[in-house]
Amino acid sequence: MATIQLQQVEKRFGEFHAVQPMDLTIGDGEFVALLGPSGCGKTTTLRMIAGLETVSSGRILLDNRNVTNLRGRERDIAFVFQLFALYPHMTVRQNVAFPLQTQREPKDAIERRVDEVIKMLEIGHLQYLRPGSLSGGDRQRVALARALVRRPAAFLMDEPLGALDAEFREVMRVEIKRLHLATRATTVYVTHDQVEAMAMGDRIVVMSNAVVQQIGTPQQVYYDPSNLFVARFIGSPGMNLLPGVYGDGVVTLGGGNHYPVPAPWRAAIERAAPADGRVVVGFRPESALLRADGPLAAEVYADDLHGAYTMLHLALNAADTIVHARAARELSYPIGTALHFDIAPDQVRFFDATTERAIAL
Amino acid sequence: MYGAKDIESRTGRARQPAALSDAALKRLFLWPTLGLLIAFNLFPLLYSLYLSFTDYSAISSRAPQWIGLQNYRDILNDGQLWIYFRNTGKYVVLSVAFETLVGFGMALLLRRKFFGSGIITTLILIPMMCSPVVVGLFWKMMYNPGYGIFNYLLGFPAGRGPDWLSSPKLALWAVVIVDVWMWAPYVMLLCLAGLSAIPDYLYEAAEIDRAGPLYTFWRITLPQVAPLLLIAVLFRTIEAFKTFDLVMGLTGGGPGDTTELVAVDLYRLAFLGQFNTGKSSALAYIVLVIITGVSNIYVRYLNKLKEG
Repeated sequence: MATIQLQQVEKRFGEFHAVQPMDLTIGDGEFVALLGPSGCGKTTTLRMIAGLETVSSGRILLDNRNVTNLRGRERDIAFVFQLFALYPHMTVRQNVAFPLQTQREPKDAIERRVDEVIKMLEIGHLQYLRPGSLSGGDRQRVALARALVRRPAAFLMDEPLGALDAEFREVMRVEIKRLHLATRATTVYVTHDQVEAMAMGDRIVVMSNAVVQQIGTPQQVYYDPSNLFVARFIGSPGMNLLPGVYGDGVVTLGGGNHYPVPAPWRAAIERAAPADGRVVVGFRPESALLRADGPLAAEVYADDLHGAYTMLHLALNAADTIVHARAARELSYPIGTALHFDIAPDQVRFFDATTERAIAL
Repeated sequence: MYGAKDIESRTGRARQPAALSDAALKRLFLWPTLGLLIAFNLFPLLYSLYLSFTDYSAISSRAPQWIGLQNYRDILNDGQLWIYFRNTGKYVVLSVAFETLVGFGMALLLRRKFFGSGIITTLILIPMMCSPVVVGLFWKMMYNPGYGIFNYLLGFPAGRGPDWLSSPKLALWAVVIVDVWMWAPYVMLLCLAGLSAIPDYLYEAAEIDRAGPLYTFWRITLPQVAPLLLIAVLFRTIEAFKTFDLVMGLTGGGPGDTTELVAVDLYRLAFLGQFNTGKSSALAYIVLVIITGVSNIYVRYLNKLKEG
């Protein structure tokens, strides 16, 4: 298989930066998800790796071979397009065989390999149909088969589940993951769906506004977001973020709430926080602990049962800030109930309010 | 108290149209067109079918006499007419083949936008818009061995080039060249439409699948354009089979009978000398049957192409 290296790769259209210079090293057999809102440059990045888009500057290495100026067909990568891009005038079988036929491989070898892949993806009953008469999910399977058939050095997938309906997405998500585990092919996967990225990626590259915001494992990205954008973007809902002012081991939040900072964090904040002490306290909904002696006072604004748990929307006293807190599903509170809560000390995070960067412990 | 019946009749009255109903209006718009169609298309079609079984002549005062299949028998046994059919076949194959090649080639060159491509496309389309008689006349001048520009462009010294229109070997080719000049743009136009309908992602997929330019052309471009290309070929075949005005403008069927196409002969039969209306109707019907047959083959192939 292959490693992929991006060194200061950037894409400009005139003055406009589609991708700011970025570095990324993808290991052999790794599954990396490029995640970000639409227009953040993730697809452009993928297309540059594929050779479908020229690189404005920087280098792309495939298995330590400089491919920056090679055409797509000289790079030995497979690409799964968002809209599948199947050849409409060919049958499913012809579509799958196409990447081998372009290489003038012997006919019986092609037939054997095509049979193998068709069996693997369970599309045997479709093989003499044309893409036009297939459902979205079946088209996706054919597109995957066409990508798999030639055992490429790397797989690039551009929102491959984007065109499927919700129910089928999950099925195909699992299939792609299993396929990856079975083939161990280096895979770069573009998505705007954080659940998909978390579920599938060995590592996630979070992008926004043409800039890489964070590169890390799903755990790192979720629990240790490197800045406020990642904290907000990952998770549904995202991290609770409460702006306040730090002083003497306490963060004074809007509306008169005071949050005593856990001891290990104090030194870090004192070292890193700006002179005016403006910081942002961050915590996940599941890190909010409802306790009568909790330091933070709030009032129930809404209370939704999500089946397995109850999501409380808490209005911090006298502040128009809503905090999401996850509570046991048995709990239910009338609107307006006054509550106190604390934040699990090992799960609280702090950010510099000016630079929006995370403060390291 | 109103009964159900009363209500029904009341609403029924309310629904009655104040003026024309939609249906009446529809008929009002349809009938004039339908009348014209019947008078100028359907009636002549059927009447000429009837005349093809008679000895009628439009300039004689005699009423048509029923002679059964005699006209058809005469035509099919007339060796001279078979020569005209052969001329026509040769002409159709040559002109349609070259129009397809030239038209498709130009479409491939013009599919990508470049500076001036719009104006070039427009200029190429001009021949198509000219009247065939005009085209015939000015090509006759261009072919003139004395002062024509055609031989000059081919590099012949003045007065030494071939006389295209009066050479038995070249005359048919001369007509073919003009027809290609005039109608290749039409094939190009349809091909351009076909080419621009091919989505870019198919080419991207082919690039990823490591297909070279030539392989991409054979496996992606050509099959994708094929339906429109076939329609262009069908239309051109039908039109070429009926070619009349171009030949009249250029050669008048000569030299000898080398450019005498069926449609030209049909004209002679119908409107010159004897005004042999009956026989010419029969010939027209034979041409109609041939064209319908050929078109059918195309249409069948086209459908097969669409279904796969």
